[in-house]
Amino acid sequence: MNRLAIALWNPIVAKEYRSRMRTWRSPLAMTVYILLLGGVGWAIFASTAASARNSFNGAQAANYGQILFLWLILFQMVLLAFITPALTAGAVSSERERQTIDLLFVTKLPAFSILWGKLLASMSFVILLLLLSIPVFSLVFLFGGIELDQVVIAFLVTAVAALTLGIIGLACSTAFKRTLPATVSAYGAAFILLAGSLLFGLLFPTEINPNATRAPAPPAVTYLSPILPLVVIGTNGLLNGYGIRNGGIYPMTQGGGMACSAGPNGTQSCYMTTVPIGKGAFGQPYNPPQPSGTTIPSGLFSGWQYWQATVTMQLVISLVALILSAILLPPIRHLPWRRRDRGVA
Amino acid sequence: MITVDGLTKIYGNRTALDHVSFEVPKGEIFGFVGPNGAGKTTTLRILAALLEPTSGRALVDGADVIEHPDLVHDRLGYMPDFFGVYDQLTASEYLDFYASCYRQPKARRKKIADDLLELVGLTDRGDQAVDTLSRGLKQRLCLARALVHDPAVLLLDEPASGLDPRARVEMREILKELQTMGKTIVISSHILPELTELCTMIGIIDQGRMRATGPVHEVIRQLTAGRRLRITVLGQKEEAAAVLKPLSAIHEVVMVNGSIEARYDGDDAAAAGILQTLIAAGIKVSGFSQLEGGLEDAFMKATSEDI
Repeated sequence: MNRLAIALWNPIVAKEYRSRMRTWRSPLAMTVYILLLGGVGWAIFASTAASARNSFNGAQAANYGQILFLWLILFQMVLLAFITPALTAGAVSSERERQTIDLLFVTKLPAFSILWGKLLASMSFVILLLLLSIPVFSLVFLFGGIELDQVVIAFLVTAVAALTLGIIGLACSTAFKRTLPATVSAYGAAFILLAGSLLFGLLFPTEINPNATRAPAPPAVTYLSPILPLVVIGTNGLLNGYGIRNGGIYPMTQGGGMACSAGPNGTQSCYMTTVPIGKGAFGQPYNPPQPSGTTIPSGLFSGWQYWQATVTMQLVISLVALILSAILLPPIRHLPWRRRDRGVA
Repeated sequence: MITVDGLTKIYGNRTALDHVSFEVPKGEIFGFVGPNGAGKTTTLRILAALLEPTSGRALVDGADVIEHPDLVHDRLGYMPDFFGVYDQLTASEYLDFYASCYRQPKARRKKIADDLLELVGLTDRGDQAVDTLSRGLKQRLCLARALVHDPAVLLLDEPASGLDPRARVEMREILKELQTMGKTIVISSHILPELTELCTMIGIIDQGRMRATGPVHEVIRQLTAGRRLRITVLGQKEEAAAVLKPLSAIHEVVMVNGSIEARYDGDDAAAAGILQTLIAAGIKVSGFSQLEGGLEDAFMKATSEDI
């Protein structure tokens, strides 16, 4: 067996599959997951079907499809944000608590293989949940409005976000001796990743250049959250500024600190009604930024798709967390900068 | 096979091991004894490459535990004093899992598991979930686990603790079987009589310092000062005691279970002189034998004073 095959199918994975699938918890988790996701899908389907009964055309159907997809993909992300840390935050600490970790350390499995096995086993379950959700997502195609590539990219973003949450959970499990603090930390990290980064962008948005013709990109830290790219993918929408001072995440014509009126030829004239720092002057004409599209207009990831920036940043975080875990896990750490006293007294 | 040289482990301001040194040649069974907190488990964990010493070195079959932990793990089987088992696995699957962790070929794993279950007397428990086994059976299974890669060295930390007398006897029989298979075994235990019977070498550790080490009988002889005689007489115990007490070689005379035990200084000639004196005094001696000090005596001596 070559090294890659050994890495991908190490004994931990087989053991974890066996242990996990022999309990009632896994089938129950899968059932609840599908019921919740299906319930949300059915509720939205039912409500859109009711409103479509009166007047229905192709454009509305596409709109309904987008709404259904957006709700489903966001709800799935939230569900996985609850499930994934629970799968990995106890992976190593429970071995410590059960006093089985030393028995693993004295085998020929390197510490990284132990981590990798734990991660692979947990993430396989997440992949299984994603696969189980496909029939629910197929509801979207009854309405249209969503292309297959949008679904694929949205699932990719969701899977990478779950992977990141899983690896962060694993790092917490390695760093903390007990499962409880590891789980609390993993959920804290999940909250920061999903909601905290978005809140940061809302509270501290990028300053608007009054002369700019396009909306500014949100602060780079907001790309950490998979919510932003999922909204962009789900709505196939144009992101026009982001932050409390700009009025929200969606394209807007009137936001905090501005008053706009319709001009000739469909143009808008806006005036600053308050004086936000760095955004023009009170009473001066102000041209609202035009929608920037699904690509990032400026900053570190200028020209990238939102999902590309998110996936890249999350993979970097995952890599760092995985390396950190691999350093922390072994009972004897061979760090190059550590000097050992090998003297014999 | 095992060399421990100047091993020191300091936790904060507490010295757990203080320049511990000993050697265990190939094929020996080394009994590691000491009171709770003496440093036995710390030493075994360092030997298993699970704990880094503050200074000193430990070699297992020539492999340094810090420099080459992978080689060390290849050559030794470790059974900790406290260990857990996985839920939802049968005894056979448990051994199969660890055999795969030791990179044993898949084709051989079933035979390895079957052979080891037979060795530890668990053949009929192969399909039983490990978490439902009794403590004694778990101990045996853990011993089997330590053997899945056929190591040359076994480190067993209190393998008989918590076992009932029958399970202890069975564990001792298994260890004797392993001894005949040529394994070098380091075993820490509190059950001293069993160690005397089982071990060929012994090390007594107390407060992190090695008090005595060497072949069992040599250590006992070194540590049990004075020699003892057990004398059985026909009805004249008081008279015999009265004859013995004035003798200059005799230190102490006590009655034990109908016999007289006398502690004396000197060699075999001194013992013969004592016997002659008793007979000359008209005492009818029906039994006269030298008693060797036990491991308990040696242990108490080693751990009660600064050597």
